[in-house]
Amino acid sequence: MSKALDPVTLEILWQRLISVVDEADAAVARTAFSSLLRDAHDYTCMFTDRRGRELAQGTFATPGQSGAMALGIKALVARLPDGYCEPGDVYITNDPWALAGHLNDVCVMSPIFHRGALAGFTACVFHHADIGGRVSSDNHDVFEDGLFIPLVKLHAAGVENEAVLELIKGNVRTPEEVVGDIRSQIAANHVCAAQVCQMLDDYQLDGLDGLADEIIGRTERSMRRAIAAVPDGQYEAEGRIEQPAGREDLLIRARVTVAGEEVLVDLDGSSPQVGWGGNVVYNFTYAYVFMAIKSMLDPEIPNNDGCAAPIRVEAPEGSVVNCRFPAAVAARMQIGHFMTEIVYRAMADALPDRVLAGSGGTPATMNVFYGQRADGTPWHTVLIRGGGMGADAAHDGEHCYIFPANGANTPAEILESDTPLLVERRELLPDSGGPGRQRGGLGRRVVFRIPDDLPGPVRLGIQSGRFRLPPEGLRGGGDGAMARFEIDGEAGDPYGLTELPPGARVVMDAAGGGGYGDPRQRDPEAVARDTREGFITAAGAREDYGVALDPETGAVDLERTQKLREEG
Amino acid sequence: MPDQRGFRLGCDIGGTFTDFVLIEDSTGTLRTQKCLTTPADPADAVEQGLRALDAEVPGVAAALDEVIHGTTLVINAIIERKGAKTGLITTAGFRDVLELGREIRYAPYDIFARFPEPLVPRRLRVEVDERVDAAGQVLRPLDRERAREVVRGLLAQGVESVAVCLINAHENPDHERLLEQVLGEEAPELSVSISSKVLPQIREYERTSTTVTNAYVRPLTGRYLSRLDARLRTLGFNGKLFIMLSSGGVTSAQTAAEAPVRVIESGPTAAVIAGQYYGRQFGISEMFCFDMGGTTAKSCLIQGGEAGVVPTFEVGRVQRFMKGSGLTIQVPVVDLMEIGAGGGSIARVSTMGTLQVGPRSAGAEPGPACYGRGGVDPCVTDADLLLGYLDPGYFLGGEMPLDKEAARRAVAQEVAEPLGVDPLKATWGIHDLINETMAAAAKTHIAEKGGNPRLVTVAAFGGAGPVHAYGLARKLGAPRLLVPPIAGVGSALGFFTAPRAYDLVRSHKAPLLGADFAHIEGLFRDMEQEGVRALQAEAMADQVSFSRSVDARFVGQGAETSVPLPDGEFAAMAPEELRAAFDRIYEKLYGRTYPDSPLELVSFRVRAALPDRPLRLPTLAPGRGATSALKGQRPAYCPEAGGFTDHEVYDRYALGAGDAFQGPCIVEERESTVVVGAGAAVSVDDHGFLWIDLPARQEVDHE
Repeated sequence: MSKALDPVTLEILWQRLISVVDEADAAVARTAFSSLLRDAHDYTCMFTDRRGRELAQGTFATPGQSGAMALGIKALVARLPDGYCEPGDVYITNDPWALAGHLNDVCVMSPIFHRGALAGFTACVFHHADIGGRVSSDNHDVFEDGLFIPLVKLHAAGVENEAVLELIKGNVRTPEEVVGDIRSQIAANHVCAAQVCQMLDDYQLDGLDGLADEIIGRTERSMRRAIAAVPDGQYEAEGRIEQPAGREDLLIRARVTVAGEEVLVDLDGSSPQVGWGGNVVYNFTYAYVFMAIKSMLDPEIPNNDGCAAPIRVEAPEGSVVNCRFPAAVAARMQIGHFMTEIVYRAMADALPDRVLAGSGGTPATMNVFYGQRADGTPWHTVLIRGGGMGADAAHDGEHCYIFPANGANTPAEILESDTPLLVERRELLPDSGGPGRQRGGLGRRVVFRIPDDLPGPVRLGIQSGRFRLPPEGLRGGGDGAMARFEIDGEAGDPYGLTELPPGARVVMDAAGGGGYGDPRQRDPEAVARDTREGFITAAGAREDYGVALDPETGAVDLERTQKLREEG
Repeated sequence: MPDQRGFRLGCDIGGTFTDFVLIEDSTGTLRTQKCLTTPADPADAVEQGLRALDAEVPGVAAALDEVIHGTTLVINAIIERKGAKTGLITTAGFRDVLELGREIRYAPYDIFARFPEPLVPRRLRVEVDERVDAAGQVLRPLDRERAREVVRGLLAQGVESVAVCLINAHENPDHERLLEQVLGEEAPELSVSISSKVLPQIREYERTSTTVTNAYVRPLTGRYLSRLDARLRTLGFNGKLFIMLSSGGVTSAQTAAEAPVRVIESGPTAAVIAGQYYGRQFGISEMFCFDMGGTTAKSCLIQGGEAGVVPTFEVGRVQRFMKGSGLTIQVPVVDLMEIGAGGGSIARVSTMGTLQVGPRSAGAEPGPACYGRGGVDPCVTDADLLLGYLDPGYFLGGEMPLDKEAARRAVAQEVAEPLGVDPLKATWGIHDLINETMAAAAKTHIAEKGGNPRLVTVAAFGGAGPVHAYGLARKLGAPRLLVPPIAGVGSALGFFTAPRAYDLVRSHKAPLLGADFAHIEGLFRDMEQEGVRALQAEAMADQVSFSRSVDARFVGQGAETSVPLPDGEFAAMAPEELRAAFDRIYEKLYGRTYPDSPLELVSFRVRAALPDRPLRLPTLAPGRGATSALKGQRPAYCPEAGGFTDHEVYDRYALGAGDAFQGPCIVEERESTVVVGAGAAVSVDDHGFLWIDLPARQEVDHE
């Protein structure tokens, strides 16, 4: 082995591994049935060595799924009894505690056999739009969330276990789509396994072990070097996260200990698990802590088992960031997405150039609208959106992205064409970006109108946040504007299931990103430009930034600006 | 002196060189010319090249039927942000469509990833009070006089070009037309682009982005094309000027000036079109067209003689080659894949202590170390030289001597020593790794198209293409390699084979059962008339043929599948017939279909085309045996042997029809060098194409 793995050959093999997973990814785009997979790319493909150590994952993987899978698959493989795996096996599970934290993320996994010997595993997690159950964030336990599939053999030595498929079909609303997508998962794994075997043949390798040691070892060393460059010490931050009306804010405590080449993130002192769906399993918590550390320290290295090795997370069992079975978990992103910014905040003084202020797209917003058309036929749609990104030391925040998760919006024209809803406005909100030397990204207003001629109300379920606690600025930067939810001019309850009568006008403002640095140090010319473009108002320029503009030309009035800034 | 017509000129303006191919249709005789591109005014280089050809064939400018032209002018204007000061008029509430985009982050772990600035800043995006719903019904009428006030306000800001994009205008363009009239009244000379004409398709971001881009480049494209036309006329040219479209068709200069957004990928498309032609000519069912130049490699899978055309692409990527980091343009474009791999790709040691090649490139200035122009970074061309594949005295036919010592130094200092490997290992690694990078991308591309890399014939184009095609083919497991004549500039040959065609599309969503087929027939006819108008400068209306297709999907699905329609009236077609056609295609593409799930129709497409003009290739005299074309021998690296072995070097110009020989060997021509590995069989056909059969694939050798 060692002879073949000089640095040059190694890089060639490494590229090949990544292309193998990307080929599996391409197979999904061709075979999946639902648009959530084909268009929004809400799935992740990966493969491991025979011990379950992740070797490569798809280039366009989703951070929550990919980070959780790296841990989850390894643990699952460790649990498989000796002699359990046979060629032609396919396993399936959606255990939230084993993998990505909610039932909709279904994992299909297959052993890779090469010349009769177990060489590794290939796995993919797809976000299925439908997993049965009561589709709501205020479920009381995971049984209300939907169908729970423990790890079972979907194919045993090449023979399909029909009973499993029938059981799944009997428990979901759209059985054809769910089963179609599961078959697409099997196809993706098949492509991946066949390509891995081809590579082993091409390079006359007996298995993946030696290659895995090299790849994982080098990646781990790179991550360790990056960590070693951070001054040793303990860095702490607290995050408050709002809960549905009538419940106290949650508290997340993070103590980041950097010691030599390792990082420990200890979440001791965080709030206990909750009686609604916001609970986060350990793997999902880990995924977004990992997102923070990797994005700060070593964003460019490919993801594999080595990146995660020097990063440990401790979360007290029974807390909201490491919930116990059978907690409801369907709305886990409402809490889990915050882990990234809390770690950034802890590290902001040590790594001021590598972090973002709070983002309006943390957490992502999800809207489920459903009802009946004028002719009585039912309709149903799911929308996802982000908000203004937090600023960093060098850049203003970008407007309106989902962060730290990821996903695409639905065009207004598509929504209007698919549903009776009308979109009256979809526009940036001036002054919503947190003021700062670098300004936070702007939030966005969307105004929906329920047509007058519908036979009954439209129902709206929301997963979101930032209605009471804004995205925070960093290092002197101001907070972003908060999110808002209004029906016909009155504040609505963003955490319940809402009935919208025909004719209702619904306003949903996404939060803006936090600013970075003292806004009074912002270049007055940048403030003038923002005012010209309508990103901030003249009043905002004066009050938030201490910049006076000529009312005629919009040019900076240097004298008055100096005075305003001196007055502070 | 030619006393009659019968000549055509293809001219491809690239980043470094402008390539010319002149064809005499009666004999198939080809002449080539290459001169440096003149970025300040690309027409300078075109004039220079035509003058040079006119000197070679006196009077040829006047004897040209056609000049067919591909250009990077439009794409460069976008990348360098040198377009017009452009304004946008849109529906109240939707001023920020351009800035919000689709909201997806293209690099999930890179929190500092930037996004492109919109081509129209927010202050030049103005709103009018109006609204049309998804069915095309007017919810709020547009008041003409209030529209006039908005137009005047925008004009007062000094815009040179205006885009109009209203919500749901693809369903009902009345309000956009009203604005077009008002703009015409207020500013008759102003360039105006209307979304319902540029891209009458659903999805407001994609439509706005495309319309705005069209508006942004329209003034400069119009100026350039009329200047070029005038320059050609002064040389005596009195034929027709055609422009290559991104979709692989060609169209008149007038049509291109109206819709310059369709010309963006004009340049890279030529090789694909040539490949398409060869694919059909030789009946190759799966061909992988591979065009490698100085900074990038562009490739495309051609199935059954047809390259895929995709409805959307990106331009001006902020992070090169990173999908999602550019401006979205939704016009038909040949589905080619571009990666940062070229002769100028730089080799370095990664932070993980492994070798990395590309995507950073040394470009033409300073270029690879061996160019001797001050470049110190080792590049792919340096490795190719050190491996013996390139002759330092015969680069560009000897016009540009290469410095082998500089190449050796660069590889040793920047790669071999830091990695602690011997120089040969490092040198071969650079060559092999860039091949691996290209092969990995190629496999993904081929897989996405449902092709099989082990069945493709690789066709090589571009200066570096024939040097690397053999290694690429081996990595793909491809059995055969094709090197067309004048491969180094041969992509310009593609212009002669490009169909004169224009693609049109209309969005109109309707369930299959219950769709108004007569109304849809009307849409098709409107598009066909528009197609005739677009092509009429080139031919008579009765020469235009049409092919129709429908984009359909399962109700609720996010993406559509294209279903070609048989000739004849759509109104006369039974829904079951369309349904059966959809199911057949869906099953073929995705393995299964769902006949019980209801279908909906989303878009309707027409391709209007003129008859192909056959290309006659020159015939080669029979060879006198390959040995008569032998220039000599030189040591070159043979991966099968794991070291340098003697390679026969052939002069491509001395080879004749029927000549055959074996690898390992090297075939040299002015603009490129063909590298052939051990065990391969080369044969030369009647038209001078090299056919290289690779030895049956065992296992890829590794020392």
